[in-house]
Amino acid sequence: MIGFTWKIGGEAGFGIMTTGVVFSKIATRSGYHIFDYVEYPSLIRGGHNAYEVHVSDEDVSHLSPSIDILVCLNKETYEKHKARLTLSSLVMFDQDEFEIKEDIKKIVIPFKKILSDLKGQPIMKNTIALGASIGILGGDVNELIRIISEQFSKKGEEVINFNKKFVQAGYDEVKKNYSKEILERLVKKPGDDKLVLTGNDAFALGSVIADCRVYSAYPMTPSSTVLTDLAAWQEKIGMVVRHAEDEISVINTAIGSSYAGVRSAVGSSGGGFALMVESLSFAGITEISIVIFVAQRPGPATGMPTWTEQGDLLFSVFSGHGEFPKIVLAPGDNEEMIELTAKAYNLADIYQMPVIVMSDMYLSESHKSVNKKFVDDFIANYKINRGKLIRNSKSVIKESNNKYLRYKITEDGISPRLIPGTPGYFYQANSYEHVEDGHTTEEAQPRIDQVDKRARKWVTYLSHDFSMPKIYGEIDKSETVFVSWGSTKGIVLQAQKLLKTKGIDSAFIHFNHIYPIDKEKITELLNQNKKYILVENNSWGQFGKLLMMETGIEIKNKILRYDGRPITVEEIVKYNNSLTR
Amino acid sequence: MSTIQDFSGYNPTWCPGCGDWGIGIAIKQALIQLGLNPSSVAAVFGIGCSGNMNDFLNAYAIHSLHGRALPNAIGIKLANHKMPVIAIVGDGDCYGEGGNHLVHACRGNHDITVIVHDNGVYGLTTGQSAPTAQKGYKSKSTPTGILETPINPLALTIISGATFVAQSFAGDVLHTISMIKAGIEHKGFSIINILQPCVTFNKINTYQYYLQRVYKLDENYKKDDFKTAVQKSLEINEEKFPLGIIYQVEKPSYTDQLPQLKENTLVDKKRFTDFDTITKLFI
Repeated sequence: MIGFTWKIGGEAGFGIMTTGVVFSKIATRSGYHIFDYVEYPSLIRGGHNAYEVHVSDEDVSHLSPSIDILVCLNKETYEKHKARLTLSSLVMFDQDEFEIKEDIKKIVIPFKKILSDLKGQPIMKNTIALGASIGILGGDVNELIRIISEQFSKKGEEVINFNKKFVQAGYDEVKKNYSKEILERLVKKPGDDKLVLTGNDAFALGSVIADCRVYSAYPMTPSSTVLTDLAAWQEKIGMVVRHAEDEISVINTAIGSSYAGVRSAVGSSGGGFALMVESLSFAGITEISIVIFVAQRPGPATGMPTWTEQGDLLFSVFSGHGEFPKIVLAPGDNEEMIELTAKAYNLADIYQMPVIVMSDMYLSESHKSVNKKFVDDFIANYKINRGKLIRNSKSVIKESNNKYLRYKITEDGISPRLIPGTPGYFYQANSYEHVEDGHTTEEAQPRIDQVDKRARKWVTYLSHDFSMPKIYGEIDKSETVFVSWGSTKGIVLQAQKLLKTKGIDSAFIHFNHIYPIDKEKITELLNQNKKYILVENNSWGQFGKLLMMETGIEIKNKILRYDGRPITVEEIVKYNNSLTR
Repeated sequence: MSTIQDFSGYNPTWCPGCGDWGIGIAIKQALIQLGLNPSSVAAVFGIGCSGNMNDFLNAYAIHSLHGRALPNAIGIKLANHKMPVIAIVGDGDCYGEGGNHLVHACRGNHDITVIVHDNGVYGLTTGQSAPTAQKGYKSKSTPTGILETPINPLALTIISGATFVAQSFAGDVLHTISMIKAGIEHKGFSIINILQPCVTFNKINTYQYYLQRVYKLDENYKKDDFKTAVQKSLEINEEKFPLGIIYQVEKPSYTDQLPQLKENTLVDKKRFTDFDTITKLFI
């Protein structure tokens, strides 16, 4: 794999995020794959923002330990990130703004002077920096100009031309003064069309593919861009997006719309999801299909809103009072996010229960390029399965007394579900325990029958739709077996590659169907004579605890990180090397 | 045309003399008179004595959680805006636990009809004071008298953006029927606050209490004037209870304002399949 990392940093509120996405798109349009990562405080202005893009000629979903081009829009950027520079790294900055004393390769761009000469706003420093970055990487400046033209298309030719001048100024500065330093890293090459998606974009796209028709949410980092994506598309795609007054209203809106017959979803982070859980239990007993997107961030409480953690796993698995079945999925990357999101809607409909799709800041806010063909093929092959949904009176299975039984006791635990408004029938979705027709009961036998019926849906799920974890590498041939779930996938995969270069074979069991799991089959995977290493972005090793609960096997070797930052490839390799058998 | 029998489920378990009996009959009558049947109306019930009507009224229904009936009702309306949606709730349910939802349902002018059983107490949990209880009201949870001033549901909903606010008295079933009908026929958010004696736990707000203090708005009352309506609604702070439509104006409902619902309901529309218009945003 040939790749490099470009990183830009500056004061929050000065357009670093937008600049980063533009850079990612230039890279994908030039034929490369990207994975990017943002660092920003929970502030609108002030504080430090940084955005790095890992560009590669292969599919990528991890960060690199070193930075090859560091673009410093202020001194803080240099100070904060210089530890990741190498002898060959280039640092772009403006000598009129601050000095760098260290002996490093400097690309001095007079941002301040260009802004003053061309009468630009301070925010247009980014535009100059992009032009200079494309220049130094040997990229196609026209590609950048095209993207800028698209971005400002609504603002008219004048604004576009004004911005072009700043692109060109940055680009020319490099061509004029640093022609010998130019790296041929972003040279345009043929490649398939790629989508530059965050995990949140992938969830939103998966929801559109799956024909979700109501999305309800209250903004909460890092889930909010699902809300803003879908809100922007709603009129075009015929969805209703409700930004409700709180997360309790959010989930109850979706419960109402799902009851009325449309696929419905909600999204939040741990805190907002915590407000939803009474209603999750309500969806459990009423057997109302609902998809819940939980994008984790470090808690407890407000925690570290703009950083990453996998700290809400056990909370999600056990969310809601009382005993009721739910399904928890945790995609490992964007491709899995699209697939599992679309699958979540099918599962919710088939099993008439809440399905939780877990993400975290690292997956939700990082962009990863996805081949458009992958998405197109997935769309072409995806089949909507609404389970035992009845759409008209003729299809109603009538009992001897001519009644329809919403909570009919069945072998697979799933009862026929009728769309409200169907003439000739009615039923209630009852949050109280109920008999088969939905009426309230406090009798012992019907209670047992309904609890057992709901529980059987899990059994049916395990035999029909549960997917075993994917195994990368061969367990038989490996001494080390990594075990992880969700967003750590790409990082562990890269660690495996690195180990392989040192002659170490490893295997990797990656879970994305988190709960429930097939105990027997999973036990077989975990009880071999191997060096198992659990990799999780939390402090408790929550998935390890869940596996122990289900299989009785404890994974003692753990790589746990809970400082708000993603686990790195290098710490995995280092940990593995430190273990002696 | 439907009959009372069509709408009748289990026999009610309310206490003899409870105001809920009158409200229960009034709801069924209103639905019948509007030409509805159990398959053509959606009802969402809160938790409380009022919510227990779930088993006594036949309809496509949700028996919700305490306080959460309104967002459920809004959700049903979003999915199928052609179906009439009513929420049958109590005062603790709607003004206490679900107070935030009420304010925002008003703001959105969501086209649902909220029927509140206002008896000043939590009957189902044996008589603790509700948000509408008069200041100083003694109950098991407020043994020395409630310190808070009561919620004024009429003023609260009018200033929050409700476009139909009415009040009736459970002892006057015919008037209650007319209010519920008018509320359901109204396009936009409608609420009917029904004064309802709890014969078991509330010994102050009795039938006699209300009979002495309720009066019907006269024909010249200007229900479409915001300031008049707010003024009128403040009378309940002085224990005077106007009955009738306190406030009604015509404004576009939430779903009226959604272009994506112009052609069809969400539940009946065709699946969106032009995925390229979305994926191209990411290239």
